[in-house]
Amino acid sequence: MAITARNVMLTLGQSSSPVEILRDVDLSVAEGESVALLGPSGSGKSSLMAVLAGLERAQGGSIMVGGLDFAAMDEDALARARRGRIGIVLQAFHLLPTMTALENVAVPMELAGFTDAFDRAKVELEAVGLGHRTGHYPSQLSGGEQQRVAIARAIAAGPKVIFADEPTGNLDGTTGDAIIDLLFARRAALGATLLIITHDPALAKRCDRVVTMRDGKVVGA
Amino acid sequence: MTLATLWRLARRDLSARIRGLRLLAVCLFLGVATLAAIGSLTRGITEELENRGQTVLGGDLQIAIAQRVASDAELAAFAREGALSQTVRLRAMAVSGDGARNVLAELKAVDAAYPLYGAFTLADGRAVSAPPPGQIYVSPSLVDKFGIDPAAKDVEVRFGTARLRVAGVIAGEPDRLGEGFALGPVAVINLKSLGDTALIQPGSLFESKYRLKLPASADPVAVAERLKSAFPDGGWEVTDRSNGAPGTRRFIERMGQFLTLVGLASLVIAGIGVGNGVSSYLEGKRAGIATLKVLGADSGSIFRIYVMQILAVAASAVIAGLVVGAVAPMAITALAGDVLPVQPGFAIHPAPLATSAAYGLLITLAFALPPLARTRHVPAAGLLRAVFDRGGRIDVPTAAAVVIAIAAVVALAAYSAREPLFSLGFMAAAAGLLALLTLIAWGIRLGAARLPRPKAPLLRLALTNLHRPGAQTGALVVALGLGLTLFVTMATIQTSLTNEIRSTVPARAPSFFVLDIPQVERDRFTALVKSKAPDATINMIPALRGSVTAFGGQRVADLTTLPEGAWVLRGDRGLTYSGALPRGSTVTAGAWWPTNYSGPPLVSLEEDVAASLSVGVGDSIAVNVLGVEVEAKIASLRRVEWDNFGLNYVIVFAPGAIDKAPHNMVATLTVPLASEAALGRAIPPAFPSSSMIEVRDVVSQITTLLTQMARAIAAAASIAILAGIAVLVGAIAASRARRVYDSVILKLLGSTRAQILGAQAIEYALLSAVLALLALGLGMGAGWYVITQLFDFDFAPDMVVVLATLFGGAAITFVFGMASSLPILAAKPAAALRSL
Repeated sequence: MAITARNVMLTLGQSSSPVEILRDVDLSVAEGESVALLGPSGSGKSSLMAVLAGLERAQGGSIMVGGLDFAAMDEDALARARRGRIGIVLQAFHLLPTMTALENVAVPMELAGFTDAFDRAKVELEAVGLGHRTGHYPSQLSGGEQQRVAIARAIAAGPKVIFADEPTGNLDGTTGDAIIDLLFARRAALGATLLIITHDPALAKRCDRVVTMRDGKVVGA
Repeated sequence: MTLATLWRLARRDLSARIRGLRLLAVCLFLGVATLAAIGSLTRGITEELENRGQTVLGGDLQIAIAQRVASDAELAAFAREGALSQTVRLRAMAVSGDGARNVLAELKAVDAAYPLYGAFTLADGRAVSAPPPGQIYVSPSLVDKFGIDPAAKDVEVRFGTARLRVAGVIAGEPDRLGEGFALGPVAVINLKSLGDTALIQPGSLFESKYRLKLPASADPVAVAERLKSAFPDGGWEVTDRSNGAPGTRRFIERMGQFLTLVGLASLVIAGIGVGNGVSSYLEGKRAGIATLKVLGADSGSIFRIYVMQILAVAASAVIAGLVVGAVAPMAITALAGDVLPVQPGFAIHPAPLATSAAYGLLITLAFALPPLARTRHVPAAGLLRAVFDRGGRIDVPTAAAVVIAIAAVVALAAYSAREPLFSLGFMAAAAGLLALLTLIAWGIRLGAARLPRPKAPLLRLALTNLHRPGAQTGALVVALGLGLTLFVTMATIQTSLTNEIRSTVPARAPSFFVLDIPQVERDRFTALVKSKAPDATINMIPALRGSVTAFGGQRVADLTTLPEGAWVLRGDRGLTYSGALPRGSTVTAGAWWPTNYSGPPLVSLEEDVAASLSVGVGDSIAVNVLGVEVEAKIASLRRVEWDNFGLNYVIVFAPGAIDKAPHNMVATLTVPLASEAALGRAIPPAFPSSSMIEVRDVVSQITTLLTQMARAIAAAASIAILAGIAVLVGAIAASRARRVYDSVILKLLGSTRAQILGAQAIEYALLSAVLALLALGLGMGAGWYVITQLFDFDFAPDMVVVLATLFGGAAITFVFGMASSLPILAAKPAAALRSL
C-alpha cells in the first residue's frame, strides 16, 4: 500500500498563538517500502506519522494512503479506514491495562468484525514468542513483552502499512534489538509498507530509505 | 460493529475496573433506596387503610350527623339499606368514683350491633359488643390515670350524672382510626346508658354515627347517593369504606409527598455524584479510549461501549436500591411501628418501585450523558504526544437527551404528586440552589485565578488547586454547599419548632378550654371561675356546628372536586355569632356590623377561606345548622391570629342569624399556674356536662406529633447529607491522581507531610469559609419557608444551635476531606514517579 503526502500543513494551538507543526511536507512511500523517519525532537516526525495514519487531520494538503483520500475523511471515517489496513506501534506500548495480552491483540480485529479474532490473536502471540503469556495483563509483563504484544496487536490483522513511533525508545539495547528483529521479520512476512520513527542511525540503516525532518519540513529524502 | 461485540468490549473493560464506578453506584443506591422506601411505606399504609376500610370506618357506609340523632324517617331509610349500628361520640369529663380525679375523655356510646366489622376486644381476651347498661369499658390510659385495679369489682367511673361500673379494659377498638384525633382516653358505654349521663342536651357538641353493613352486591357510593337525595337537607357527612380515615390518609399522603421530594433532592445531589463519578472514571480511561481509536474504534462505538458500562452499573445500583427500599418498610415498622397509624404487612408495591427506578435511571442519564458525550472528542493523536484538548463540546442529540431526561423527572414528580404546584416549586428551588452553587464555584475559580500569587508556596498551591485545569472545585462547592445548607436548614426548623412550642405557646395560650357550658349557666360558670381564680381572664363565646352547603350561588353537593385549599367544605365546621369583632381578628375587607345589629343574616369569613372559595364581600354563603339551612351575605373578611390557642372561628355570624338554634358556650380560661389545679378540681363536678381541656396536654400531644414529623424529615434529609458526603469524597478521590503528583514533587523538593496536609487544609478551609456564610443564608431562608409558610409558625431559630450545627457540619466535612487526603501523603516518591 503506497503513501503519498503533498503540501501537508498542520497547525495546533489556539488562534491567538498558533504553532506550525508541519509546513508544506511532501513525502512518497512506495508499496512494500520501509522508510526511517529521522530528526531532532520537535521536528514534526510524530505529527507527520499521526497525519499519515489518520490520527490527526491536516489543515492543508493531500494525503493518499492505499488509494484512500485521508484529507477528505472525518475522524470516524479515518478510524474505519485504519481497521485491518494500518497497524501502529507506539513507544509507550499503550496496551489497554484492563485487558489480557490475548484480548489486547484481538481488539482491533474485533473492531474490524473478524469472527476469528481470538484465534488469530493467539497465533500472532505465539509468533512473537508470547504464546505462554496470553492470559497475563500488561502490568504482569515486562517492557519488552509489552512491546511484543503491541507488535502482535499491530500485525495480527494483516495490515498493509505499519507505523512505528520509536518502538524501542523505552527498552534497553538488547531487548530493543530483539524487538526490531521481530518487527522486521513480521513485516517481511506480510510484505507491508513500514514507516518507522527513530533516533537510532543503525536502525535507520536497516530501512530501504531514510527521510530527515527539521522544523516541520522534510529536509532530506 | 455489532452490539454483541461492543458489549463484549464493555464488559471486559468493566470487570477489570468496576471500582472506578463505586461513587456512581453508591449515590444511585442511596437515592433510589430512599425513594423506594418512602414510596413503599406510604403505599403500604394507604393500602392497609383501604383494605381495612370497613373495619376502620365501622361499616360499608357511615352517616355522621353533628349535634343531633337521626330522625325516625332517617333511621328507617338507613335500616332499609342493610344492617345498622348506631354510635354517639362526645368529649366529656370522666370523674373517678371517689370524685378525687378527673380527666377529659372520649366517650363513645354504642348499640348492641357494634361492631359491624372487626372485633372489639378487652384485655382479658373477650370479644364483646356494647357493655350492659350501667357498665363501662375503659382504655388502659384511663386505668392508669385513675389508678384503677382492673381485677377489682365495683370500681366506678362517673360521666355527667351517671355512675358506671368498670366491666373491662379495652384492648382493641376496631374503628379507632376512623374516629380521628383523640384528646383523651377512650371509654365505651351502652347507648342506653347515655341518657343517664345527661350529657346530651340541646346544643351539646356530640356526633351521631350510623354505620351500615350493606349486602355484598350493594354499591356504597350508589347507596350514599340514594340516601342523600332522599334527605337533601340532612346536613350529614357520608363516608364509604374506600376512605375510612380520610384525615389520616391525607396526612400520610402529604407527609409521603414531602418526604418523596426530600428523597428526590437526595437523588439530584446523588446525580452530581453520578456526573462526577462518570467524569473521573472516563478521565482515567482517556488513554484507553485513545488507544481504541488508534485501533479503529469510531467515536460512536466508544460512546456506546461506555454507555453500556454506565447503564450496567447504574442498573445494578438501582436494583439493589429497590430491594432495600422494598424491605425497608418492614424494618421501619419493626423499629417505629407505634408511630405509624397502621402497621402495613409485607407486600411489594410495584408502582412506587417503578417510579423510584425511573427516577434513578433518568437522573443517571441526565448527569452521565454529558461526560459520556465528551468521550467522542478524546483525540487518537493524544497517544503520540501531549495534544491540545479539543473536548468540552456536547453534541445536539446528547443535549436534547439530557433535556428530555430532566423534563421527564420533573413531569414524573408533578404527575405523581398530590400537589403538583408544590412539587414543581420545590424542584425549582432545588434547581435554583444547584445553579447558584455552580455559579459560586465558577466565581471561586475565577477569583482564585485573578488573585495575586501568595509568596508562601503552600498557600500558593492551595489557591492554584482551586482553579487548576481538572480542579474539582465545582463538585466540592456543590457537595459542601448543599451539605452545610441542609445542616443549617434542619437546625433552623428544629429550633424554631422547639422555641414555638416551649416558650411562645405557653406564654400566650390560655390554661383551659371549656366546652359545652350550658347557655343558661354562663353566669354561674363565670362566678365559679372568679371565686377560684380572681385573676382569671375568661373569653366565652357561643359554639355551634354546621356544614357549608352553598357559596357564591354554587351548591357544594354539585361539586365533583373541592377547590384547592377549601377544607372548610369538608364536613362540619365550628360556627359562632358575635356582635363585637372577636379578639385576635382584624377586618381586611368590608365592615364589621354594629354590636346591636338586627337585620338580614350577615356573616364574616376568614380571608384565606374566602379566597379558597373565590367569594368576597357581598357574595352569599349557606350553612346547614342542625338541619336548618341559613343563607347569609358576606359582610366582611378577617385576618385571624391562629397560633395563640385563642377562640376563633373562620365563620362568624352577625347576631340574629343562628342564635335561635340550641347551643352551648365555649370558653377559654387564662389563669396563673398556681390556680390551675384548683380550677381543674372545681369545674368538672359543678358542670358535669361540660368538658375541660388542659392546654398543656394538647401542647404535649402536638409536640409529640411535630417531633415525630421532624424526625421523619431529619431521617430523609440525612440521606441527602449522606449523598452529599459521598459526592464530597468522590470529588476528592477524582482529583487524587493530580494531588499525588503534587505531593510527590513537593516531597522531592523537601516538603514535609505536615506541610502538604497544611496546603490541603488551607484549600478546604477557604472553601468552607465561603460556603459556611452562603449556607447560613440559604439554610435559614429554607428554614424560614418551612416554618412560616408550611407550618404557619413564628420564625424563632436558636442562633447558637444553628451556628454550632453549621460549624459542626463544616468540621465533619473538613475531617472527611482531610481523611480522604491521607492516602495521598502515603505515596512513596520513587514508586509514584514510576507510575506517573
